[in-house]
Amino acid sequence: MHKDYYKRCKSFLFSFLILSSVFISRVSAQDGEALFKANCTSCHAVKDKVVGPALAGVDTRHSEEWLLKWVKNSQALVKAGDAEAVKLFNDNNKVMMPSQSLKDPEIKAIFAYVKKAEQVVETTAAPASGEQGQTEEPGKNTFLYLLIAAVLLFLITGVLRRVQHVLAKTVRQKEGLPEPPVRSRWQGFVYWSRHNKKLLAVILIVLMLVGSVKAWYGMMSIGISQGYTPDQPIAFNHKLHAGTNGISCIYCHSGAEKGKTAGIPSANVCMNCHKFIKKGPTTGTTEIAKIYKALDYDPDKGTYGPNQKPIQWVRVHSLPDLAYFNHSQHFVVGKIACETCHGPIKDSMTVASQYSPLTMGWCINCHRTTPVKMAGNNYYNDYHKTLLEKYGNDSLINVEQIGGTECARCHY
Amino acid sequence: MDRLQSVPTNKHYPHKMSTKYWKGVEELRNDAEFVRLKNNEFPEHLPLDEVLNEKAVDITVTPRRDFLKFLGFTVAAASLAACEAPVRKSIPYLVKPEEVTPGVANWYASSYHDGYDYCSVLVKTREGRPIKIEGNPLSSVTKGGVNARVQASVLSLYDSVRLKGPMADGAPASWSTIDSAIKSKLESIAAAKGNIRILSSTVISPSTKWIISEFASKFPNTKHVTYDAVSYSAMRQANKESFGVEEIPTYNFDKANVIVALDCDFLGNWISPVEHARLYAETRKLNNGKKTMSRHIQFESALSLTGSNADTRVGVKPSMQGAAIANLYNAVAKLAGASTVNAAAAGDLQKDIEATAKELWENKGKSVVVCGINNIAIQNLVCGINSLLGNYGTTIDLDNPSMLRQGNDAELAALLDEMNKGEVGALLIYNCNPAYTLPNGNQFTDALKKVSLSVSFADRADETSLSCKYICPDHHNLESWNDFEPRKGAYSLSQPTIAPLFETRQMQERLLTWAGNTTNYHDYIAQHWASNILKGANWNKTLQDGVLESTPVSSKNYKSSANLTAAADAVSKMSGSGIEMMVYEKVGIGNGQQANNPWLQELPDPVSKVTWDNYLAVSPKDAREKSWTQGNVVMVKANGVSVAVPIFIQPGQMPGTVSLALGYGRTNAGKVADGVGKNAYPFTSMNSGNIQYWATGVEISKTTEDDHKLAATQLHHTMMGRAIVKQTVLEEYIKNPNAGNEEELFNVHLGKEVTKKKATEANLWNDHEEGNHHWGMSIDLNSCIGCGACVVACTAENNVPVVGKEEVMRSREMHWIRIDRYFTSDFDPKEGEKGDIKKMENPSDMPKVVFQPVMCQHCAHAPCETVCPVVATSHSSEGMNQMIYNRCVGTRYCANNCPYKVRRFNWFRYADNAKFDFNMNNDLGKMVLNPDVTVRSRGVMEKCSLCVQRLQEGKLNAKRESRTVKDGEVKTACAQSCPTNAITFGDYKIKDSELSKMWKPEERSYHLLEELDVQPNVFYQTKVRNVEEGMAKAEEKHS
Repeated sequence: MHKDYYKRCKSFLFSFLILSSVFISRVSAQDGEALFKANCTSCHAVKDKVVGPALAGVDTRHSEEWLLKWVKNSQALVKAGDAEAVKLFNDNNKVMMPSQSLKDPEIKAIFAYVKKAEQVVETTAAPASGEQGQTEEPGKNTFLYLLIAAVLLFLITGVLRRVQHVLAKTVRQKEGLPEPPVRSRWQGFVYWSRHNKKLLAVILIVLMLVGSVKAWYGMMSIGISQGYTPDQPIAFNHKLHAGTNGISCIYCHSGAEKGKTAGIPSANVCMNCHKFIKKGPTTGTTEIAKIYKALDYDPDKGTYGPNQKPIQWVRVHSLPDLAYFNHSQHFVVGKIACETCHGPIKDSMTVASQYSPLTMGWCINCHRTTPVKMAGNNYYNDYHKTLLEKYGNDSLINVEQIGGTECARCHY
Repeated sequence: MDRLQSVPTNKHYPHKMSTKYWKGVEELRNDAEFVRLKNNEFPEHLPLDEVLNEKAVDITVTPRRDFLKFLGFTVAAASLAACEAPVRKSIPYLVKPEEVTPGVANWYASSYHDGYDYCSVLVKTREGRPIKIEGNPLSSVTKGGVNARVQASVLSLYDSVRLKGPMADGAPASWSTIDSAIKSKLESIAAAKGNIRILSSTVISPSTKWIISEFASKFPNTKHVTYDAVSYSAMRQANKESFGVEEIPTYNFDKANVIVALDCDFLGNWISPVEHARLYAETRKLNNGKKTMSRHIQFESALSLTGSNADTRVGVKPSMQGAAIANLYNAVAKLAGASTVNAAAAGDLQKDIEATAKELWENKGKSVVVCGINNIAIQNLVCGINSLLGNYGTTIDLDNPSMLRQGNDAELAALLDEMNKGEVGALLIYNCNPAYTLPNGNQFTDALKKVSLSVSFADRADETSLSCKYICPDHHNLESWNDFEPRKGAYSLSQPTIAPLFETRQMQERLLTWAGNTTNYHDYIAQHWASNILKGANWNKTLQDGVLESTPVSSKNYKSSANLTAAADAVSKMSGSGIEMMVYEKVGIGNGQQANNPWLQELPDPVSKVTWDNYLAVSPKDAREKSWTQGNVVMVKANGVSVAVPIFIQPGQMPGTVSLALGYGRTNAGKVADGVGKNAYPFTSMNSGNIQYWATGVEISKTTEDDHKLAATQLHHTMMGRAIVKQTVLEEYIKNPNAGNEEELFNVHLGKEVTKKKATEANLWNDHEEGNHHWGMSIDLNSCIGCGACVVACTAENNVPVVGKEEVMRSREMHWIRIDRYFTSDFDPKEGEKGDIKKMENPSDMPKVVFQPVMCQHCAHAPCETVCPVVATSHSSEGMNQMIYNRCVGTRYCANNCPYKVRRFNWFRYADNAKFDFNMNNDLGKMVLNPDVTVRSRGVMEKCSLCVQRLQEGKLNAKRESRTVKDGEVKTACAQSCPTNAITFGDYKIKDSELSKMWKPEERSYHLLEELDVQPNVFYQTKVRNVEEGMAKAEEKHS
């Protein structure tokens, strides 16, 4: 029994070891991509020269042993006078490659990924655009189905009407009743409505009610541009930047921390990254080239020309001049997340769109329901105590309770 | 009727063929029918009666259906138009400057000097454009004060009349051609040993002076002539004769117990008014238990701003100034045991003079006598008096002199002489407008024709530069680098706050270029500061502070060594006959330099409250005797010049004298100033080497012209016996701090019971809930001098539109803050008959004056709030009365129910409206608008918001930095700009805030129209005058 147990344990351990070794080796292979993105992409791309050379075919240019040394401490190699290293250093404008604190298997995993990516990189752009095309389909299809259904229903009613007509005629002929007077469609409607006055009244009242409600909402929506998604001069993809790449909103919209406008980033902010990232995953080089054009930047030489022209973005969010809104008040003091007003910009907004109605009712509603974040802000010290005495609970002290719905907080 | 134009035949009119045309043959023949029709403007009978009678109205119906169709169409069209939101572009920087964050203001320390006004300032810029000027508290000269003109200078930057580039012979030219032309011309003049002259107003920039001397070393026959439009030359010369120092001293009014001023508007215009106002106010404040204040005696003929603030004001005719000074000297000399001089009898004045001398002597070393008369003999006597009193070294500082006025009349006269003789080869004119400001401008322009190279650095084609060969427009102060030395040893820097708007270039760089030096001005200043001024101080720190001040040297006592006997003899020759006239400067327009600034034109004169005009101020007595009425156009003749001006009856103007303001009647300043008022400079004259600003033997004759309408913002003169401005005298105040502000009890009816209660105890309304702040404002009427700086500050901060003269005449000015001015009346309501009550409206001929700034009082129980049908005005939890423009429908009920009359209605859209062609009607002028404040449109009410945008900003800054709002951190624009700190803004909730201190223990505090119990959050403090009790009694009777 015991022996059996031991044997079983042994085989279990053995299989575990085998499995885990497979598992581990798999992890490191997959990690190559993550490691590459985490450590290399600021200077290297697979196919393009960024700061450092393109990594495609690196295994054919250098030996693995040399590469390991180079990655760990390139400067030591250069200083040691290694001919290969010195040449590489000189070829790349003498920009030192920083030493990477990576282990050998990790470095190998990166190069494995690079080798794999050499073939894949070309094809990634295509399916992405295909995906985009598909996202637009469902809307069209629903409409088409509805149309087909409507036509079918129309045909069916026509046929049924005809059948009923023929049947009635047959019945009348059988019973020897006289032919009913021939009426046109209109006369038929008039005849019907004379005999169904109550029903007609009900239908009319319902129609009028629906109509007025529609008209009311239609009129109330005048000047509200919720959902406004204008075409922009550069097809900037918020989802890709803020979502996939996880860039903080404040990195580009730095004004949100400091003042009333969040601000559209100036092109020099774009260049912090796009000096190196010359090709995007969705639109390739076309959109990024527009930034270069605005700055008259030559990506190959890395120089700026004199013919710079500002980018004319189309404003999406626009409050009327009579309302004062301050981003820093909401973002820094109120600790309101960007998404509260701007919507799922990281998750689904490829093109910036006005998510909220930006009406006064919408503002006021939020002020009435949002508790003030007083804790930790010395501005509220004494006031907080007074308010707590009055309302008893922090969750009951909404913006309205500290005067946040008073007119001159926003209108002056 | 056939109305062909017919050409007459030779037969009828052989000689007049080309001049006379007829409307038709009927006219040619002169038919009887034609004559009848000609006299009838509308030849056909107009069917007015048929159209307008009742029957016709019934026939000419607009069908209901048509009406509905049109209505429907209009509604549909309007809503469709509204549906389409315009596509707005948002254009960010390509490369954003690090220090700029859109929506956040940047402040730069700088300095303002235009040869006339000097202030160390802080400039607020938004997205790279200056929008507001405030005082720099680090400056020991202006101590954070700014006057109306410096405040308004930010609008002068955006003046569309400014030249867009250089001009040669009246046509635009390029800088390169002009530079080379002028350079070669200068070189040829220098080669021919011709004279080169630089004519400028006072230059207080050390670098500019170095550049001028560098220029002079390149062109050896160069001489720099300085002259001030309103000259102080005699003062400098008198100081030279008396003490051997050709300077203008610094006056320490704060150290003076007795201030005696002779025709000297030291709070409004004299030398450095902002500095004086600060120091003067320090001696007048009575807060925190201080029970002493200075005594201010003013001798003058025209009622000046300074005279309005005086404790005692004595009328002196201009021709009697000399006698008054000589007698004052004698009176002081007698007390001092010094020898006296010959003096003409001062007549009625003698008593006042002796009383003044006594007070001065009792405060020797702690008194000051100032005099604004440009006459060396008089100034020598003034120096003598101050010297006898031992005021040098205490109240007068000659060792740290003021550099602000350096003009020399004798050099100016010599230059004019040279020009007339054709001895001047080149004349470079900088920062001055002699063709307008000289006693005889035409002579100057004629003489200018004899100068072969004339260059002006003016920013516009003004009266002088029009006759110059070249105009090389200089940058505006806010666009340029510069350095200044307003007082010896006190330096300040000026830095550009905006890139030059036009193709203008710095004058200093031009001089350098023409002298062959290609250094730019910034580098030049930096280099010369490094070697001469900085003395180890950090350049960047200095630039950030705006000022660099060395410790002042200790000031010494000086004894006059001038020949006072000769001076007395000279002044005894002064004589006058008939009516005498003073020309003076107003606090708004000043010497006329910034006349094209609509903010200044619309700023009411503190004393007369008239805007957009100058006028002949006459005394009520003279007006009665000569039957002049307000607005009568009279012909004034003096010094051989005749000018037709309107009459303005000015209480306080001394009988037998008249006065006329300088700075008006510009002809080439721009569309705002041109043709506004009349030029008074021709009434000045050259007298014994100095420009004299008064004329005698003035003939005033009525003309047949229609009355001229003057646009005044206040038409009533007295308080009608009510205690609107509460007043007392110092003696009473010392005895009882509540003097003048005694508690008033009112009859309160509780059922049938009548009890006496304080107004605040009878309350109809519930109190408001209080938030984290309770803002309020205190206005100390004892320190308010009425200068109007707050009015301009408010205009700039809150986008207050300029409405123009016509609208001001309809009482539709838009200023959110006004300064009420009240005169005392001779009428005593207690003694008078009931029917005489109207006499209360008449001010005294020589009244006392009080000023009271009034803005929205932010009542806790505001009458305006209760009458608004749409709740467009409501109360905030922070004590403010809020006005919401987008909610307002313009019923104006609120304005009618406001007891303080502080609400303003927008009768028109003032922006983008050609009928109001001021700064808001062009893109350039609109750059001055504050982006944080709504530009109001037609049909809405507006009023003081207590600068809520500043409060919100201050609160937000505190919240972001997790701290409370510090006392004094946020200020309204008016409080910030006040040169005397009369306005204190703050939070009642901060226990020891300046505001709380002003309110609680201070017995002088009161609410305006307390009996209404509207519980304002703005309060005032009693005005206290330092006069004897006897006078106090008389005053009480008349107020």
